[in-house]
Amino acid sequence: MPPTSARAFATTRRGFLRLAGSTAALTTLAQMRSVPVAAASASRPGAFFSPAEQEILTQVTERMVDSDAPGAPRVRDTATIATIDALCASLDPSITAPLPTLLRVVDYAPFVFDLHFTRFTRMTPAEQDASLAGWMRSRFALRRQAFLALRNLALLGYYSQDETWPMIGYAGPLLRSAVEPA
Amino acid sequence: MITQLIERGGDLSERAQVCVIGSGGGGAVVAAEIASAGHDVVVLEQGHYWTKANFTQREDQMLPRLFEEAGMRQTSDGAIQILQGRNIGGSTVHNLCYSFRTPDPILAMWREEHALPDLTPEALRPSFERVEKNLKVKQILEQQVNALNRRIRAGAEKLGYSGLVTKHNREGCIESGYCILGCSYDAKQSMLVTYVPRADAAGARIYANARSDRIEIGPGRTKTVTGSVVDQSGRAMGRVTVEAPIVVLAAGAINSPDLWLRSGLPNPHGEVGRNLHLHPSAMVAGFFDEPIDAYRGIPQSYYVDEFIDLDRDPRSGYVLMPIAGFPVLTAASLPGFGREHARQMRDFAKLGGLLVLLHDRSAGRVEPGSSPGRPKITYTLEPDDRRLLAEGLLHSSEVLFAGGAERCLVPFTPDALVLRSGDDLNTITKRGVREGEIVLNSTHPQSTLRMGGDPKRSVVGAFGESHEVPGLFVADMSVFPTSLGAPPQITTAALADRTAHHVLDRWTELAG
Repeated sequence: MPPTSARAFATTRRGFLRLAGSTAALTTLAQMRSVPVAAASASRPGAFFSPAEQEILTQVTERMVDSDAPGAPRVRDTATIATIDALCASLDPSITAPLPTLLRVVDYAPFVFDLHFTRFTRMTPAEQDASLAGWMRSRFALRRQAFLALRNLALLGYYSQDETWPMIGYAGPLLRSAVEPA
Repeated sequence: MITQLIERGGDLSERAQVCVIGSGGGGAVVAAEIASAGHDVVVLEQGHYWTKANFTQREDQMLPRLFEEAGMRQTSDGAIQILQGRNIGGSTVHNLCYSFRTPDPILAMWREEHALPDLTPEALRPSFERVEKNLKVKQILEQQVNALNRRIRAGAEKLGYSGLVTKHNREGCIESGYCILGCSYDAKQSMLVTYVPRADAAGARIYANARSDRIEIGPGRTKTVTGSVVDQSGRAMGRVTVEAPIVVLAAGAINSPDLWLRSGLPNPHGEVGRNLHLHPSAMVAGFFDEPIDAYRGIPQSYYVDEFIDLDRDPRSGYVLMPIAGFPVLTAASLPGFGREHARQMRDFAKLGGLLVLLHDRSAGRVEPGSSPGRPKITYTLEPDDRRLLAEGLLHSSEVLFAGGAERCLVPFTPDALVLRSGDDLNTITKRGVREGEIVLNSTHPQSTLRMGGDPKRSVVGAFGESHEVPGLFVADMSVFPTSLGAPPQITTAALADRTAHHVLDRWTELAG
């Protein structure tokens, strides 16, 4: 069997398409790092992600935190996505500018990386898990970094929701003002 | 006076005798000591001025407020997450209060190998004593050791490993455990409640939201710091200009060399930004048989020092430090995603971590990045450090099991290694730590503008003054000649105190 690098670049149709697609997508993603936030997102005043991007983010987050599990608060029933959106809107644009594009790349990643002719948002949960695992295990560092960025945003959004705390046994802040509505 | 520039609006234009860039563990000390001597000091801090009223104990609010890049700063390859403060008081506002003096063997190495003959424990004693008095450093009491630290201590003692209950800078601590999100009770004696108010009371003008983008030298002794008024996201909203004959760079070991290089300040031997040490750390998560609520109480009061012998080898080793996080920080520190990750999180209340903190030989680099404040950070663990880290993960697991953990999760990626009590722990070292395949963090970047007697191998001299630019000083962890091998709070403050008193001793020459 040839070494890994040779296998990865073997000129089969599938290998070629994967390589070409990966390179194109990642090059696009890398170039989009400098796209101004305003050009890349927000169709609603004050929102960072467009409605379409929010839907992708919601489905990504649902799989990241397994919110379909019994007893787990559903992402759509909490302010998880609003929390992530508000955080991204408040950060240095040079950090957050790639995120809208990244979400769209994630949505089309099944075409690009897996020759799976369905968008991420139209996959079953099991297929979505497999697609995300592809990002997590990718041999491309940039793809793994992108996965981590989305994962950590999802975790921040979900586990900062008060509704998730009883499930994990976290008693919450001691300050009453932190857990009561203003 | 402490001024929030984004609330005041407009530009900032000032003249002073001393301009201090950064208000953290080094900058606040320099500002307070020099202002207290009656001199005219301006402090520029890029972060916001948050006080206990803003410390809500909620991660979604405090991570963006207190940390560089909202806690998402990382090395360029994404392998190491770097937590650094970005607020008045700097990282001392979120640190966990370990208060160690510089180990004697480290000082000996700095004296002998970095041409710093005067850096003796005796010479530093006045600075250590002043700093420890001002930060109210005292021994943690037995009854203040929380459930996690007690279990780790029991595990270490059962195995015969050396450890100690440490000293901390706390006063009137109610043991809420929220130290890393800022102390809501002003019990943590961070710079925010000690040296910053001292500097303020002595007349220093302290500006929050003032990012320094460039330092220009001349004419004569004058130095001009220019920059931007920035909001919390870093968006520029006005201009900053401060002229002073003395400039003290104290923006931390990532931002200080970035500013130096962006400014085109002298770098004749290419040392600026090099020699970056990170004290990289990895957490083994131990899951106990009952809830221990490790997030309550003083997070770090015990410290396992069995695996570092600085007398024998001052260049390497590791320590084990208990660690507990809140839900978001904990979730981020566990590898993977989805069902398995969620399953681990369901046991959050039973979880207690033990960090391996590496006294690293590996050295990385800071270079200017895409924009001010976003430097490029490169760092690769050398094989010896990877081996030590793997050994540390083994011993962390061993201590956690001896302390009663039922299972341990070693943070390899993409698949964590889950071990049960009785499993062969050598599995960890057999697998080993591979580049980019472990969750690593750093809270102690250091050594990027290092101190030394030889200008070819260092950037600043024995008192933190640039070899090339008289009147330009550095007073943060950048000046450590090597990795410190211990929590850096007291060393940073003591060296800054020493720098401040050196400036005062040469006042007429430098500022007159």
